[in-house]
Amino acid sequence: MNSWFDNALTRAEAIDDWLHEKRAASLALLRDTDWPTRQTEAWKYTSLKKLEQLDFSAGTPAPSINAHSISDLNSINLVFIDGVLQSIPADLPEGLTIMPLAQVPDEHQPWVLDQFAGVKPPQHLFGLINDTLATDGLVIDIAPHVDLKHPIHIIQTMTAGNEAHCRTLVRVGAGARVTVIEHLTGDQESFNTNFTEYSLATKAELEHYRLALQSDAALTIGGSHFNLDTQATLNSTIVGYGSDLARIDVDISHQGEGTLAKLDAIYLLDKQTHFDLHSNIEHTAPNGTSDERVRGIVAGKARAVFNGRIHIHRYAQKTSAELNNRNLLLSRDAEVDVKPELEIYADDVSCAHGATIAEIDQLALYYLRSRGIGLEQAHLMLNFGFINELIDQIPNAVLADWLRQQLSGRFTRMNTIKHSGQEMAQ
Amino acid sequence: MLSIKNLKASIAGKTILKGLDLTVNPGEVHAIMGPNGSGKSTLGYVLSGREAYIVEEGSILFEGVDLLTMGIEERALAGLFLAFQYPLEIPGVSNLEFLKAAVDAQREARGEPLMSSKEFLNAAREACKAVRLPTEFLKRGVNEGFSGGEKKRNDILQMLMLQPKLCILDETDSGLDIDALKLVADCVNSQRDAKRSFVVVTHYQRLLDYLKPDYVHVLSEGKIIKSGGPSLASELEEQGYAWLDRQPGEEKSL
Ligand SMILES: Nc1ncnc2c1ncn2[C@@H]1O[C@H](COP(=O)(O)OP(=O)(O)OP(=O)(O)O)[C@@H](O)[C@H]1O
Ligand SMILES: [Mg+2]
Repeated sequence: MNSWFDNALTRAEAIDDWLHEKRAASLALLRDTDWPTRQTEAWKYTSLKKLEQLDFSAGTPAPSINAHSISDLNSINLVFIDGVLQSIPADLPEGLTIMPLAQVPDEHQPWVLDQFAGVKPPQHLFGLINDTLATDGLVIDIAPHVDLKHPIHIIQTMTAGNEAHCRTLVRVGAGARVTVIEHLTGDQESFNTNFTEYSLATKAELEHYRLALQSDAALTIGGSHFNLDTQATLNSTIVGYGSDLARIDVDISHQGEGTLAKLDAIYLLDKQTHFDLHSNIEHTAPNGTSDERVRGIVAGKARAVFNGRIHIHRYAQKTSAELNNRNLLLSRDAEVDVKPELEIYADDVSCAHGATIAEIDQLALYYLRSRGIGLEQAHLMLNFGFINELIDQIPNAVLADWLRQQLSGRFTRMNTIKHSGQEMAQ
Repeated sequence: MLSIKNLKASIAGKTILKGLDLTVNPGEVHAIMGPNGSGKSTLGYVLSGREAYIVEEGSILFEGVDLLTMGIEERALAGLFLAFQYPLEIPGVSNLEFLKAAVDAQREARGEPLMSSKEFLNAAREACKAVRLPTEFLKRGVNEGFSGGEKKRNDILQMLMLQPKLCILDETDSGLDIDALKLVADCVNSQRDAKRSFVVVTHYQRLLDYLKPDYVHVLSEGKIIKSGGPSLASELEEQGYAWLDRQPGEEKSL
């Protein structure tokens, strides 16, 4: 036990709102949970020390900050500063309902109660903590067959000395199409937990982004969790910068037949930062497809942790699941800890699973140099190309351009050029 | 411009070039023909400085300077350009970014001011037009998903942008449709002047009909076994290479 956790439990007890029953159930689970140590499998490579020592009970007022809106995105912006929602735009498109978590009208409460902690599996410790503490957040409902042209852009910024717990629930109706961008920023000493639960009804299509761009002293733990009903489609992109403590859990549950999920993740770490991505893909119904590509560049003394689990249940015949993780290490002190986990209980499936330490392509290097590009620059171009390949696949062109700019700027600043790595086939 | 003497070179311990001589003067166009596996591409790779290729003997002077002491990019910056038989795909690196880096490097090496983004974009668009690649191709990864012919045209596009002194075109005509072949030939012809030289590797007469080379050489088993004027190409087209075997090494190269 530690003081932060004790304190969190005490704070949780004091919360009494319409989600009380849900919160109480999670609180009960929490009381039975041991605080993770290095022996705890899910936290084996990620230390919580920095969090244990945190005390933000005093809090500091939020300075006025610019919302990090992305020009030309034509998005519906929802800005949180230190967990507090600034406002909800007035004239939302037909078929889109957005409510603050604290003020959900009666007619929406039943489905929200169903979905709250109903998509996110109970094993995530900080998910439970978020269940009990998240009083701020959003509930977003997209009516069946609505095709939303404007991306929903949720921007969350943390400022120095603050702690916040946010919860977002998104329901995508049958045949509806929508883009949701979870965009998290902040580099000041702070802590936030941030969990989002998505349910996709039959033939719903979700284009999802989680831009975990917190850095430095901004501690963050969160997750994006998805339930896919029959023939639903998810196209998700996750980007991580890493900070003193950054952990994301992604759960994708293929519950209906013929679902399709594509998950691309990119991380770009340097200095002493830490980024931990745990993904868990559950195929419980037949004919599902999942395709996961995770690529990271790790420089300085940074450490990346990737745990990719695919679980194909007995009845999930004709599942096609692929997972590929590649890492480029730019320094000797950089580290990646990769753990692929495959559990297959159906006999008629196609499944591929691999993790490698990437190596620079010597032929490509030669090609660039044969055009007069210097060795060092050629290395930089190819290294960035390694993650840019995934950026090139991002369906939203405006967002892809913006991300490419952000990431290439960050990469240029990292600029350590040391190469290592042999194939580490698994 | 280029003077190769008694060049012996190997790859993976296997000697491919076995005493090759070739002299190219400014403004000349030389064609190299020869059977599969005779070492034509190897010659291009050795000239470009590709690492796996080991020079065992002989010398190569490029504008009077020992090419063999120069690194890959140094050779390119000195004005040597190799259009590849099989241009590589580099996903993740956009054509535009690649071209800009290459052009910047050239300009810097020549002591010319760098192009502004706008100037560069205009030049790149012009070059696209010249090789008839849609300008959208500039945004794509280098050769990523390009068809065989598009890759070849992309290499020629690079040649147009980089303005090299010596262009080695390795089977640039193979995989091109009839119109594209004419187009590429026109591009090459448009670049010809009293100073710029070309070494064109090809299997077919058609490209040479357009280019009208000054010399045609036959490379066989690592050596140039015959050299002649443009008429040699038509003789080869009619008779193949077999008749040459009877008089190996007879012809002195130029
Ligand atoms: N890595 C290698 N290891 C061993 N032999 C090699 C290697 N690379 C090339 N070779 C051999 O070198 C020889 C010359 O190859 P090269 O590509 O230069 O031929 P070429 O004249 O260009 O043929 P083509 O007309 O088919 O393009 C071939 O016999 C080839 O198999
Ligand atoms: Mg060849």
